[in-house]
Amino acid sequence: MRSRKIRGRIGDLLTYLVFVAALVFFGGPLLWVLSLSIRTPQEVYITSLRLIPETPTLENYTEVLYTAQFTIFLTNSLKLAVAGSVGAMVVAAPAAYAFSRLNFRGNNALLIGVLALQMISPLVVIIPLYRYFARLNLLDSHFSTSMVYIAILVPLATWMLKGFFDGIPLDLDDAAMVDGCTRFGAFRRVTLPLILPGLTSVFVLMAIIAWGEFTVPYILLSEPSLLPISVGILNFQGNYAETSQQVVAAGGVLAMLPAIATFIILQRFIVRALTSGAIKG
Amino acid sequence: MAPLLTVVTLFYLYPAFEVLRFSVTNASLQRPDYSYTLDTFVNVLSDPVLYKVIRITAIFVLASIALQLVLGLVVALAANRARRRRLPGMVFIRSIVLSAWVMPGVVIGIVWAIILNEASYGLANLLVASVRLGNVPWLSTPNMALMSIIIANVWRGTAFSMILQYAGLQTIPDELYEAAEVDGASTLQSFWHITIPQLRPILMINIILITISTMNTFDMILPLTGGGPGQATEVLALRTYNVIFREYSLAEGAVLAVIMLLISLVLTLGYRRLLRSEGAL
Repeated sequence: MRSRKIRGRIGDLLTYLVFVAALVFFGGPLLWVLSLSIRTPQEVYITSLRLIPETPTLENYTEVLYTAQFTIFLTNSLKLAVAGSVGAMVVAAPAAYAFSRLNFRGNNALLIGVLALQMISPLVVIIPLYRYFARLNLLDSHFSTSMVYIAILVPLATWMLKGFFDGIPLDLDDAAMVDGCTRFGAFRRVTLPLILPGLTSVFVLMAIIAWGEFTVPYILLSEPSLLPISVGILNFQGNYAETSQQVVAAGGVLAMLPAIATFIILQRFIVRALTSGAIKG
Repeated sequence: MAPLLTVVTLFYLYPAFEVLRFSVTNASLQRPDYSYTLDTFVNVLSDPVLYKVIRITAIFVLASIALQLVLGLVVALAANRARRRRLPGMVFIRSIVLSAWVMPGVVIGIVWAIILNEASYGLANLLVASVRLGNVPWLSTPNMALMSIIIANVWRGTAFSMILQYAGLQTIPDELYEAAEVDGASTLQSFWHITIPQLRPILMINIILITISTMNTFDMILPLTGGGPGQATEVLALRTYNVIFREYSLAEGAVLAVIMLLISLVLTLGYRRLLRSEGAL
């Protein structure tokens, strides 16, 4: 009994050692960038590990927001992320429902096809799209860009939503149809409300992925006033990096904050969506 | 189902077909006309640069897999233990680790460019200053730069491995460990003979998903090294982008895209087999 207790104590100690190490490795860089973002130019060059500067300032943030067009970049990201994830849900939800509920021919083959699409790099699809968008005069347009966002999000959304639909007993929509609902009515009145938590988490996850999407806007958009934050901040870093790290750091904090905040608030749902998508299929 | 099929046809099947078609032409981004030829294929495949790029990509992917699996498992084990013994702090650690994963890839590159700043006030150099004289060239020598992008990629991807492994650990029945303890097995023995075999399918799925996401990474590399110094961190995805949009050779880029497509096809087949054997499909 005694040795078991000691073993338990040692185990707890090891557990916390891992936690502390993880905290330093994963949280450390974030804290450092946060610290840089509130420093005055002089304090960037001090060679000490002090995190809280002597004269903290918010000037870097005002500079980024007002002189460096970050307000525009952030608004563009929000627009594209919402358009992309709403569109992806509209396309994916009925398809996921069909995959989960209807036993049609080729169901499985199609589902594997969807899985395969998820593995394709956006870069591969964007190459020919760039050419034909150029010909149709659709470059530098939020409309065509969000269409491609939808296309890129749809496979993962379908795959995850199918997992949620599978978790709802079939008898429920059968009962609804016996009671006189059409198949679509059964979907809308019975199944849909039940998977609302699932829908929400997939939607949020899609929005977070769309927020960080880089390849598509990098290739399809070049007009500075249309760029989302992911591309805008890269150009910004190219111009500022060597001279003013603290301003780049402030830009970085603004770019990551919406994704991290959304995630932390809704993490319970999102973590569940993630695991069900990858393992259960 | 119809919306899904439309999206798939327009944004995946048609582009994939076009990529294949362009790979057997001499098309360029700058002029509209082209003719069919196999020369491009021959040129790309006989160019020693391709093999350098593949070697770098392989190192990048393999090192990321090894580190992410091990780190992800270690954090997952600690988190699982904390859950079973009701130790506080698990959700906090999970939030920090996942924060690194939800932020945009470009911002991850910017964060690490700041941390690995080669001047003496960069965080990494401040940390090594106590044990070593002089600054480390984190990003400007080929081997260090490759190591740096691996570190940044592991920082980003470990969270996903942790989530998968943690979900996997929760499915292992407690009875197995209890029985092992009755038989006098040590903690290490239970780990090798129960935990690892039980987790095997999830570890395999994880390897495939890490390979895919690492292969498709180039957003994070741009702000960090830009593919340099020289071509030391120019991975396959970045090479494809550069060939098309910097060297304007649509045809050669298409050949590289075909190679990427083939790799994702092989990985998808592997993933499908794993899901099948798990009874998930």
